[in-house]
Amino acid sequence: MNLDALVIILTAGLLATACGVLGSFLVLRRQALMSDAVSHAVLPGIVLVFLLTGSRAALPTVLGATLVGVACVLGFEALRRTGLVRADAAIALTFPALFSLGVIGVSKFASGAHLDLDTAIYGEITFAPLRTLAVAGLDVPRSLLVTGLAAVLTLLLVVVLWRPLQASTLDPQFGEIAGLRGQLAQRVLLVASTAVAVVAFDSVGAILVVAFFVVPAAAAHLLATRLATMLILAVAVGWASAVTGHWAAVHYDTSISGTIGLATVVCFVLARLLAPRRGLLWRAWRRQVGADRFTARWYDV
Amino acid sequence: MDWLIGLVPLPYPVAVVAVGTAVLGFVAGALGPFAVLRGRSMFGDAMSHGTLPGVVVAFMVTGVKDPVSSLVGAAVFAGAAALVMIGLERAGRTPPDAAIGVALSASFTLGIVLLTRVSQGGDADQSGLDAYLFGQAAGMVVRDVELTVGIGGLAVVLAVAFFRLLRSATFDPQFTAVAGVPTWAVDAASTVLLAVAVVLGVRTVGVILMVALLVAPAVAARQLTTRLSGMIALSGLIGAVCGVAGALVAGRTELPTGPVIVLLATAAALASILLAPRRGILARLHRRRALAGAP
Repeated sequence: MNLDALVIILTAGLLATACGVLGSFLVLRRQALMSDAVSHAVLPGIVLVFLLTGSRAALPTVLGATLVGVACVLGFEALRRTGLVRADAAIALTFPALFSLGVIGVSKFASGAHLDLDTAIYGEITFAPLRTLAVAGLDVPRSLLVTGLAAVLTLLLVVVLWRPLQASTLDPQFGEIAGLRGQLAQRVLLVASTAVAVVAFDSVGAILVVAFFVVPAAAAHLLATRLATMLILAVAVGWASAVTGHWAAVHYDTSISGTIGLATVVCFVLARLLAPRRGLLWRAWRRQVGADRFTARWYDV
Repeated sequence: MDWLIGLVPLPYPVAVVAVGTAVLGFVAGALGPFAVLRGRSMFGDAMSHGTLPGVVVAFMVTGVKDPVSSLVGAAVFAGAAALVMIGLERAGRTPPDAAIGVALSASFTLGIVLLTRVSQGGDADQSGLDAYLFGQAAGMVVRDVELTVGIGGLAVVLAVAFFRLLRSATFDPQFTAVAGVPTWAVDAASTVLLAVAVVLGVRTVGVILMVALLVAPAVAARQLTTRLSGMIALSGLIGAVCGVAGALVAGRTELPTGPVIVLLATAAALASILLAPRRGILARLHRRRALAGAP
């Protein structure tokens, strides 16, 4: 394996770490589609920062886009609070409008320049090793640096806020009674998810955002019975997908983001079929075993 | 179809696009309420992403970009995405929104992988397949309009014909089940209707924005009426008006058509939420103030 392949796999894996951890909370809180909405809604933020500063430097882009992402979440919350629109309709109303603004911005002001809709959507993880930053005399790939930072900060956040996050996710009423600041945990979770979605959008493209936030967490949800186990399994699914997806992309000569995303889906399908106690094949097998035992016991076969 | 286009006092190509987007807006608007009222607004998003692999597979099988075969491919894959979502929900454990996320990721990543394979084939005819992502209203020809009118019209007629059934399934699924209608049949029927609206729409407004065309007119209409029949008619009308206006504004300002239509539809929904006579935010504030003012 050469160095470029290693950089791509590490970038995807680090991103999968941040997304898997946050995504597990979102899936348990029935907010999985926030990641989809935010990953599309940040486009106008990226365009705006590009128009204002004329560059796609990592820090201002992430900051500006995160602001727009948070605005999207606030707008969605405000719509939902009116009681006139259901939560899912509120999401479906907010993010296409913001994405439209972004598309118009790109086509009107930034077409052909440094913003390219195709790469934003399909992902440019293939080019991840090419864009480098000089850190302490070494050329470090930019996306590796950014995703690594995101992963470390996410893990740190979850460790620090473990109790409030756990309580407000699994038993909100207990969390309130125990004074565990569920509201704060909710806000921090949304801002962190937005920031990670922006990082992902910027370094690997929008396809992988939803695939990484939702699919590994949903697979882990089928396998685990404890929150900590679920987080670890979600991260593991992400890393496994990064490795196998990259291998498949090289082997079949196709889109790396696409195959990594598809690999997470394969993991989910396997979990859905084979998970102990909950898998569909497992259940069918247990039913068969139970029936056989029953027959053997009562009919002396 | 030419007589309808001839009625529009505009240059011929502009008139074709305007009529096409109007019909499309009407179909998506009229069928949207069945998704929105059942809490399945985001189904449309996963289904529209599901059309991408369908179109690519249709191209790989036939080798040409033909509107009919890509419509069929798109419809099959959009329907499959919907079945996956319903199946995951019924299998338990996976929450509905996560099921939508999984179906969306699965179909979209599959689409991208296949698309990349096709693009590397060096086939000249496949260019423009990725324009599908963002839609291409300006490329509409009379045949597209005819297809939209034919298939979309059929879907609307079916929705009207089975109106009572769809209405009771929308508002009271348990009653419908007790009354002896199999729930899977109603699920399948409303899924097919949505799939029709989605496959007709994605070619014009694109995969990502299609969901707004289903949801925004329905949300706008919901604030203005309390009857399902009125909501469907009104939602269709709002969709049609936004379609025409969007096409004309986009043509005049040289902006992409899909996003302009979506922004107009969203503006209609927001205006309706704010200003609707009885349910609207301003009306409620006014009422509250009137109550507080009374002795």
